[in-house]
Amino acid sequence: MRPSRREFVKWVSASGIALSLSRLGSAEAAGLPPRASLPGREGWNPAANGAGRIDGVAKVTGAKLYASDFRASDLPGWPQSTSHAILVRAPDATHVYVGMDLARLSGALKPSVVVTAADLDKIGTRVPAFYTGDLFCPVGKTPIYMGQPVALLIFETFDTFDRARLALRYGTFVKFGEETGPVAIPNYGAYRFTRVAGATPDAPDVYSPVQAGWVSPGRSQISPLPVWSPLAKDTPAPYSKAAVHGEQIRSELAAKNSNLLMLDREFETQSVDPMFLEPEAGLAWYNSKSESLELVLGVQSPYEAAESIEHMLGKASAPFKPARINAQFTYVGGGFGGRDHTPFVLYVALAAMFFPGRPVRLAHDRYQQFQAGIKRHPFKMRSRIGVDRSTGKITAFAADHVLDGGGLANFSVNVATVAATAAIGIYDIPKVDVTTVVVHSRGVTAGSMRGYGTLQSMTALEVLIDEVAAALPLDPIEFRRRNALKPDGRTMCGNRYSVSVRTTEMLDKLEKHPIWQQRAQQKSAARPGTLVGTGLACVTKDYGAGADCSLGRVELSAEGKITIYCDHVEMGNGIGTALANRVAIHLGVVADEVSVARVDSYDVLGLVTSGDPYMMDQKTQDRAEKDPRWVPAISTATSASVGAHVGTHSAAEAARVIFRFGLWPAALELWNIAPNDPRAKDWAKAQWKDGQLVMSGLAALPLSALAAKAYARNLVTGAMAHSFSRWEWSRARFPFNGEQYRAEIDALAVRKGNGKFARIDRVSVRFPPAVNNQSGNTYTSMCGTLVRVEIERATGVLRIAKAYNVFECGRALVPEVVLGQAQGGFAMGVGYALLENLPPYEGGPGNGQWNLGQYLVARGSDLPLRDLEIEVLPPLTPDEPPKGMAEVVMVPVVPAILNAIFDATGRRFQSLPVTASLLKGVLA
Amino acid sequence: MTRLSITINGRAHGPTDVRDDLSMNDFLREYLGMTGTKFGCGAGQCLSCAVIVDNPDGTSFTSPTCVVSAVSFDGKVIRTVEGHAKNGELTTLQKAFIEHFSFQCGYCTAGFLNEGQVLLERLAKAPVARAELEKTIAEALDGHICRCTGYIKYHEAVRDVILADSKRYLVANQ
Repeated sequence: MRPSRREFVKWVSASGIALSLSRLGSAEAAGLPPRASLPGREGWNPAANGAGRIDGVAKVTGAKLYASDFRASDLPGWPQSTSHAILVRAPDATHVYVGMDLARLSGALKPSVVVTAADLDKIGTRVPAFYTGDLFCPVGKTPIYMGQPVALLIFETFDTFDRARLALRYGTFVKFGEETGPVAIPNYGAYRFTRVAGATPDAPDVYSPVQAGWVSPGRSQISPLPVWSPLAKDTPAPYSKAAVHGEQIRSELAAKNSNLLMLDREFETQSVDPMFLEPEAGLAWYNSKSESLELVLGVQSPYEAAESIEHMLGKASAPFKPARINAQFTYVGGGFGGRDHTPFVLYVALAAMFFPGRPVRLAHDRYQQFQAGIKRHPFKMRSRIGVDRSTGKITAFAADHVLDGGGLANFSVNVATVAATAAIGIYDIPKVDVTTVVVHSRGVTAGSMRGYGTLQSMTALEVLIDEVAAALPLDPIEFRRRNALKPDGRTMCGNRYSVSVRTTEMLDKLEKHPIWQQRAQQKSAARPGTLVGTGLACVTKDYGAGADCSLGRVELSAEGKITIYCDHVEMGNGIGTALANRVAIHLGVVADEVSVARVDSYDVLGLVTSGDPYMMDQKTQDRAEKDPRWVPAISTATSASVGAHVGTHSAAEAARVIFRFGLWPAALELWNIAPNDPRAKDWAKAQWKDGQLVMSGLAALPLSALAAKAYARNLVTGAMAHSFSRWEWSRARFPFNGEQYRAEIDALAVRKGNGKFARIDRVSVRFPPAVNNQSGNTYTSMCGTLVRVEIERATGVLRIAKAYNVFECGRALVPEVVLGQAQGGFAMGVGYALLENLPPYEGGPGNGQWNLGQYLVARGSDLPLRDLEIEVLPPLTPDEPPKGMAEVVMVPVVPAILNAIFDATGRRFQSLPVTASLLKGVLA
Repeated sequence: MTRLSITINGRAHGPTDVRDDLSMNDFLREYLGMTGTKFGCGAGQCLSCAVIVDNPDGTSFTSPTCVVSAVSFDGKVIRTVEGHAKNGELTTLQKAFIEHFSFQCGYCTAGFLNEGQVLLERLAKAPVARAELEKTIAEALDGHICRCTGYIKYHEAVRDVILADSKRYLVANQ
C-alpha cells in the first residue's frame, strides 16, 4: 500500500476549534502606502496584457508580501506592538540535555516567558502524527536530533530580544551532561519494488507492484536496517513473494554469463539545504478575550499547517486551547519543498499561546534555518545492471537504497519510494528489483526537496548508463534509444504512463545538437592545461503526489472584471500568473485580481472528507462518495510540481462553467441566435481574440458586453469548483439548466447575476480508483541535458562552457515562467553537482554554526549565463494539459555534468559534490 | 546608544537614539517598518539586504545592511526598493525586471534592483565599451544570490535597459 503523505485530521475540527484560513497580501494591509500588487489596480502593469507576472509590481516596489514582512502594527485589529521569540535548539544529540544557562540572560536581557517541554506537558499539547517526536527535548533526555528545540524564549520588546539573540549566538547556552550516543529509533520505512515482465510486451507481468501491492519486509529488532531475506522468520507473506522474484533477479545478475555485461556500482549523494532566501517566519497573537488565535504564516501547505496547529492545541487545558484559529497565508520567499509540512508553524502558535494578548513574531535567522530547516536526503545506493552484449538491451536491474532521514520522519518514506520507483529512469527493463530503507539519524530532518528521490536515484543511474555504453561499447545516445520505454510500455511498478512520453524525440534533439556533434572536435581543441569534456543525461520525473486537489473560484463583474481565488501557494512558481492565463483561455482576458493561498473561499461547497486518500480501500471510497459533498481530500500542498497541472485546474473548470452557462448564452442573445438554432450548441467553435469573442460571420463581442448581458439575464457570473487527482481526475455529473453537466471536478457551486453562490449537488461521481494507490506514478515529464565543461588541470576549477536543456511540459501556461524555472533548475543542479554540501551530524548544520559563505550555492559566475540554451518542446496538441516541469529540469543537469567530467578527465566520480579540490586531487 | 540621523528615499529620519549594535537591517525593518529591504543571511553573503548609499559627490554604491550597524549610516543618504518608483511611475529598470520575468519568489529582487540601478547610474557617468558590457554586468550582479531564477533574466533585463539607451550607457562608436 502506498504510504500516506500525511496523517489526516478532519477539517471540521473534532476538538471544537473553528478554523478559518485566508490569504494575506499587501492590498489588504492597513496603513501601508498604496502599492498595488495586482493588475487593474494601478496605472501600469504589463500582466494585464499578458506580459509580466501578476505579482510583478508588488515585487519590484518592496510591497509587504512575505510572512517575514508583517508585524502586528501592519494588521487591522491587532495590538500595535510586536514581541519576539527565540527558538532555542540543541546543537548536540549524543549527550543528555540538562538545561539552559539562563543566568546569561539576566537583567535587561531576561525573557518574559520561557516555554519548555515541561510546560507543554502541563497544558496537554498533542504532537501531530506527522511530526512524531518531542516538540521540545525534555531535561534529562538526549535530543533525538541535532537542532531539536529545547525551549522558546519570548521577549516583550525587540531590543531585549535583539540583545539576547546576539548574546546567545556563540557559546554554550544549552547544557549537556552524560554521553549516551545517539538515540536509537526504528527506521521510517522500508519497501521492495520488484517487477518481472511477461514474455512479450503485451503479455501481463509475471509479478509487479501494481498487481501485488507495495510490500515491506520484516523489521529487525537489532538493526535499523530491515531483513531483506525472503526466508526470514517474521517475513510477511506478500513481501516474501516479491523477495523470491527479487532474489532470482539478483542471482541472474551474479551468474557468470559471457553474453551479459554486468556492472555493480555504488553512488553516494550528500545533504543539501533548499536555501530559499526568506528564512522561515511567522507572526501570531492569541486574543484571550475572544479566545482567538490569529496567525500569519508563509508555507507551501497552508491547510495542513492550520490542521496541525489545531491538533496540537485541540486537547490543551484552558486557557491554552483557543476557540478558533484564524490563519492568514502570505506569499513565500522560495520553497523548493522546504516549506511543505514544516514543524516551524507549531512553534509560532505556541509562542502566542504562552504570551496571551501580545502578538509574537518567531523568525529564523540563517544560522537557525540551516540548523533546523528541512534538508534533502543523502543517499547511499548500490546498483547492478545487466546488459545483453549482442543486442545492447538491458535485461535486469537491481538496486539497494539507504536514505538518511534525519531527526523526524517528515516525508522520508515518500522520498524513498519515489526514488526507488524512479530507479530505472527512462528505460524499459523487464526484470527489476529495488529495495529501499530510510533510517532515522541525529541529523537535521530531511524532507521532500525539489526533485526529491528522483534526483538522487537518476543521477546514479545516468552515470551508470554512461559507463555501460562505454563498456559495451555503444554510442550513449544509441544505447539510451534502444532501451527507452515506449509510450505504451510499463514502468517498473507495472503501470503505464497516462501522459505523453517523448523520450525518443528528446534523444534525437540531444543527438543533433551542436554541443554533442562537436564534442570530439572541442575536446581535441582544448587549450593547453585545460581538459574539455561533454556529457549528457536524459530523465523522467513524476509530478503530483498521488492524492492532489485544488479549489478554485472565479467571479466575473458586470463590467467584465475577473477575480480568481485559489488554494495553492505562490512561492515564485508563478501560480498566480498561470491561473490568470489559464482562466483567460475560457474568459478571454487576464484577471484583474488573483488571490492565491486562499483556503477560505469555498464554504458554499460544504465539502466534507474522511479517511486517508492514500490508504483507503475501494469499498470505503464507494461508501463515502454517496454523500455528494464528500471528497477524498479538501486541499493539498503546493509541491511536487503540481502548480500548473493541479493548482490551476479547478479555477479553469470554474471559468469553463461561467463561459458555458453565462457568456455563451449572453453571446447567443447578442447575436440574435435562437436557442433552437443549431449554432446555439457551437460553443466549442467560438474563440477569444484580443478580449473579444469571435465566431465566423458574426460580430465580435467584447467581454464587457457579454458580462453586462449575463448580469442582465441573470446568467452564471461566478463558479467555484473542487477537483481531486489520484493519477487521474475525479469526474462528476451535475444537473444544471435542464441538462447534465459533466466535468473533471467533484464539487461545484455557481452564482447567477448578482445573486449568491449556490451549491449544485453532483448526481454521480467517479473518483479515481483506490487501486491507483498501488501504481507507480503515471504523470511524468521528460528532460534531457547536454553539458560541455572545461577543467583547469592545475587548479581543478571547472567552467561550464555550454549547456542545452530540452524538455516537455504539455501546454506551457506562462512560457516565460517555464523558461525561468528551467534556468533556475539548471543553476540548482550545478550547485548540487559541484558546490553544495552539508556534512552529517557534529560538523554539519545541526550545530547552528552554518551560513552562506561556508555553504556555497551557484552564483552567476558559476553558470553559463550566455551559453545555456533551453528548448521547450511544443505541446503534442494545442489543448494538451499542462504538465509539471519545475523539478525534472534540474535532474539531468547533475549526471550530465558528471558524465562530462568523465569525458574530460577519465575519472568517474561516484559521490557528490565534485568540488574543485577533488578535481585538482585526481588531476595532480 | 548613539544618535542617528539619516535620509531615506529623500526623507529625513531622526535624530533617533539607537543601540550601537543594532543592525541597519533591523533599523529599517523593525524601527521604520520598511520591509522592502530583506533579511537573507545576516552574513553579508546574499545581498538581499543591500541598499543604495548616495555619496555627496554624486556617486553611489550598494551596501549590505545585515552586517552593518545602523549608526554607521549616520548622516548618510540612502535609497531602498520602496523609493525607486516616483508618483506611482516605475523606473525603467523596474519595468524591465517585470517584462523580463526576472524574478520568481522576488525575495532577492530589492537587492538586484538596487545593484542594477547603481550600475546604470555609474555607466551614465562613465560609459563602457560594448565589448565590456557583459563583464561589467556580471561583475556588478555577482555578489547577489538568487535561488529561483538562475540569474539569466536579471542579466537580460539590465542588458536590455543599457542597450535600449546605448548612447547614454556605452562608449560611442563601439
